[in-house]
Amino acid sequence: MGGPPRAGRLVEGVLRCYPARWRRRHGEEAAELAALLIQDGAAAGSIAWNYLTGAAREWLTPRPGRRLRLAVCALAAVVCSLSIPAGLLASTGPAHAASTNPAPRHPLCRPGSPAPVRNASSLPAHRHPSTRETRHDRSC
Amino acid sequence: MSRRDGPGGQDVLRRAGEASVLILISLADGPKHGYALIRDIGELAGVELGPGTLYGALDRLERLGLIEPLPAAERRHPYRITVPGAAALRVHLDSLERVSAAGRLRLQLGGI
Repeated sequence: MGGPPRAGRLVEGVLRCYPARWRRRHGEEAAELAALLIQDGAAAGSIAWNYLTGAAREWLTPRPGRRLRLAVCALAAVVCSLSIPAGLLASTGPAHAASTNPAPRHPLCRPGSPAPVRNASSLPAHRHPSTRETRHDRSC
Repeated sequence: MSRRDGPGGQDVLRRAGEASVLILISLADGPKHGYALIRDIGELAGVELGPGTLYGALDRLERLGLIEPLPAAERRHPYRITVPGAAALRVHLDSLERVSAAGRLRLQLGGI
């Protein structure tokens, strides 16, 4: 009927539900123990169910490392949940409502100065002050 | 609900669960691995301990320092009770004995 191999597969499948750390430590012995108990007449379904509840308990049991990871994830989730509404607010603000393409800041502009900065000789050679000056007719 | 601990010290097994206590009792006469523990507990207490329950209790007891693993023989990992484990078991059994004696006395007094 293929009972034992099928029972073995069932138990092996359930053992995969455990955390990797647990499987490394107990995995092989747990599979062998299940095989021995099935040989003794225990129902494979009840063994699999017992391992399944054990796996759930194992995941739910707080451990120091897991607690730290959980705290980091929670912090990241809080930061994300705060930054997304802030980003939405910034993008839908009245200053940005009129224009979807904000004017680039002119490199020669200084706050409160309507005229361009005259000392353009310090600029790199590949830049053209004349173009910049004509562009500067618009307000910074 | 808080309970007083006995004269022997703090009963750390008070909330450890039946499986943990049975495992410690089974290990009290020598090291055993998982299968031997399940068989022994079945004989001494008539309790069929599931393998998932067994490994959960073994990990918990090891974290508490009440048992320790021995080098693996093939795939099997035997465990043995530690000195603090034996002390904790003694305290717990003393506590159970006191409660048991009080219960018997009250049954006598009640004439039931």
